[in-house]
Amino acid sequence: MYPKNNFFNVKAVLIILIAAFLFVFNVFPMGYLIFRSFVGENGFTLSAFSRIYTYPLNWNALRNTLITAGLSMIFGIMIAFPLAWLVGRTDLYGRKFFRTLFVMTYMVPPYVGAMAWLRLLNPRVGTLNVFIANLFGLSENPFNIYTIGGLVWVLTTFYYPYAFITISRAMEKMDPSLEEASKISGASPLKTVMTVTFPVMFPSIVAAALLVFISAASCYGIPSIIGAPGQIDTVTTRIIDYVYVGSPEGLTDATVLAVSLMVIANIVLYISTFICGKKQYITVSGKSTRPNIVELGKWRIPITILVGIFALIVVIIPFVTVAMTSFTKNLGKPLSLANFTTRYWNILLTRKGILDTAKNSLIAASVAATAGIIISCVMAWLLTRTRAKGRHIPDFLITLGSGTPSVVIALALIMTMSGRFGINIYNTLTIMIVAYMVKYLLMGMRTVVSAMSQIHPSLEEAALISGAEWQRSFKDVTLPLIAPSVVAGWFLIFMPSFYELTMSTLLYSTDTKTIGYELFTYQTYHSQQTASAIATGILLLIIIVNWILNKLTKGEFSI
Amino acid sequence: MSSITLTNITKYYGNVEVIKKFSGVFEDKQFVTLLGPSGCGKTTLLRMIAGFEKPTTGEIKIDDVTVSSANNFVPPNLRNIGMVFQSYAVWPHMNVFENVEYPLKIQKIPRSERNKRVSEILKAVDLSQYAERMPNELSGGQQQRVALGRALVSNPRVLLLDEPLSNLDAKLRETMRFEIKEMQKKFGITVVYVTHDQTEAMAMSDKVIVFNNGIVQQIDSPVNIYSNPANQFVADFIGRINFLDADIFEGEIKFSGGQVMKYSGDKRGKAVIAVRPENIKIRTDEGILCGKLSQAYYLGDVNDCRIDVDGTEVRVIREGRTYGEIEIGANVWLDFDTYHVFEK
Repeated sequence: MYPKNNFFNVKAVLIILIAAFLFVFNVFPMGYLIFRSFVGENGFTLSAFSRIYTYPLNWNALRNTLITAGLSMIFGIMIAFPLAWLVGRTDLYGRKFFRTLFVMTYMVPPYVGAMAWLRLLNPRVGTLNVFIANLFGLSENPFNIYTIGGLVWVLTTFYYPYAFITISRAMEKMDPSLEEASKISGASPLKTVMTVTFPVMFPSIVAAALLVFISAASCYGIPSIIGAPGQIDTVTTRIIDYVYVGSPEGLTDATVLAVSLMVIANIVLYISTFICGKKQYITVSGKSTRPNIVELGKWRIPITILVGIFALIVVIIPFVTVAMTSFTKNLGKPLSLANFTTRYWNILLTRKGILDTAKNSLIAASVAATAGIIISCVMAWLLTRTRAKGRHIPDFLITLGSGTPSVVIALALIMTMSGRFGINIYNTLTIMIVAYMVKYLLMGMRTVVSAMSQIHPSLEEAALISGAEWQRSFKDVTLPLIAPSVVAGWFLIFMPSFYELTMSTLLYSTDTKTIGYELFTYQTYHSQQTASAIATGILLLIIIVNWILNKLTKGEFSI
Repeated sequence: MSSITLTNITKYYGNVEVIKKFSGVFEDKQFVTLLGPSGCGKTTLLRMIAGFEKPTTGEIKIDDVTVSSANNFVPPNLRNIGMVFQSYAVWPHMNVFENVEYPLKIQKIPRSERNKRVSEILKAVDLSQYAERMPNELSGGQQQRVALGRALVSNPRVLLLDEPLSNLDAKLRETMRFEIKEMQKKFGITVVYVTHDQTEAMAMSDKVIVFNNGIVQQIDSPVNIYSNPANQFVADFIGRINFLDADIFEGEIKFSGGQVMKYSGDKRGKAVIAVRPENIKIRTDEGILCGKLSQAYYLGDVNDCRIDVDGTEVRVIREGRTYGEIEIGANVWLDFDTYHVFEK
């Protein structure tokens, strides 16, 4: 791009606008949250902290959060790295199918997993429990989902896709000649993976681990659905309990816990950036190269079967269970013709309460995704095509936002955006949209930035030298090339916003209930079948939209 | 009529000076090559002519139009220049025809005329049967020709080429060298060509500009650059050459090893004597310098020898059929046909 004075101003204005948005709705609320937790009526005090941590309940919650998030992170990476490698770099049968399946799990609300495993591994009547007990002639059911182990199981199986996507992407970008050089030096495929692929991927693996940890630690749906019957509290469920108390003291208590959670998240974030340093930029080349395919040889069939079994247990059985639940009359009995009903689908399609919440979610998620993808495109342009001063500030703030636990974002917004500081968007859809954007902007931005950085600037320069103005060059060259990623980025913000639960639970009002919250209420208080019908509806929506986008972009759409 | 006039061009990136006060005129229909090692500033200069970079100071004129100066800047899209990029920059989402057609579309030239013009160009770059192909179905050389066709289609005043051959294999590189030269003659266009490959520069150019560290070392014809290098850098960068340290006194050159040679020039003091391998004769009788034949390689057409002169290795290229006439280890005499003296 050629320098021009008014250009600089445009850049500066854009940077200031984006940074200001994030400052007002993320940095400032967070700062206030910290302030509130330390400052009481009479100035600085630690009394709130000491009060909170005199309850063993809260200590337990903190411990549970660390254990469950920590273990999910470890198991998640242990699953995601080999899977990403098998799917991305080997001649595994059905690679594309498996990839779609694992990526699709990312788009499924995690609490759907909790609903499914609740049915499968209920200690008394869990379908899978009974099946296994019968199969092996056990006197009692082998598993109990209402335990820390159960919680870790569900968290892992629903958060490992986050790591899978992150690692897969980095693996696709890795220069295959690095691996080839290892092989030519005499290393076996396995040796190559351990000595070259893994170390080169390490920064991405750390980033993926961080993502899983933060998501698992700030998850509300799963610990609430599974933890409540087993009386297992996590920091997130405690925070929401405290907010629901409604008193100012409850809010302060919630704040203190939120700050604790934030401190944990920041320590993890700090460690991960410390470990990674700047490695990533040296080892992973930006250009997209065709990865070389490792032949699995005699292991090809056994490994494919293994991956197939994994997919069956972790993806297919839970989804089918939820779908079946939605057609089951009496949950105490297995699904049969006599026990079959479409009643709950009728409810889903006719009850005004559900349809209204679906509409709310649709509006909020669409607005968040559209605004988010516009910001993502602007950021991609600023980051990859300009040297504008301060362009890394909004970049940093966006990363910060997504690294902040959802429950903390929501709580901070409640505390600051209800009129105390001149902005009152509490009880409106706007506050939801803002929260969704703060939390999910990063996914969209990363997608567009990586697409943009793969377009060599000379492609745009060639258009300029052909006589096109930069707007025309953007329209004719840049846009067609990044369009699939822009669509994917939009979807990556839209989907989690659409079924969002944690933040919505804190931010909803009677008029702005979301589909995620509605589903959760049905699951917990009214009817598991209706909840399952809603969840299956969301699953269908995901599959249909995915299919349409795939057709529209001629198979180029990928996440 | 398309000349490029550059006056007092400098370019800074932050505090780093990448081009040091450059002035020069590239005349109409001339093939000018900017030659130098990577990082010498040659690509920056080319991108300033294109308009992708703005000079820190100085003025650029194409014909009589000032395209870049302190208070005037014509963006690249209004300069009517053709350019071939190092990476070709063939748009992956357009087929060959659409790629070449693009500049005409921008100029809003009617479809029928566009078709005619694109067909002509595709024929000229020998891609007629590939019009419907997508770039990923083409070889490197074909993509290169698409880029060339696109650069030429709108009859630009000037054609800029940024290391266009560096991604091709050796054989194709030689073929394309002549094709580009042919194109230039056919279209009668002013060409500015950037390369770090001296052979390319020698083979194609009317005028070569040698750069190092942002400073122009020599502007001259290929013949003069080779036979009359302006300084030690140019002598070293272009072709093969031997350097011998020496001191020059009235009437003689005394080499660092102690041997002496007659000298009638007017340079004095510490100096480097530069002599090309093909300008040295090996004799078994009397000559200028005495040494020992240490190695000899038979290369078919020539015979590549190394002679140890008081510890300094001197390379000599002789006719191939002389191989084996002198035994390795034998004492020989060297005679210089021509040599250059660079004062230190």
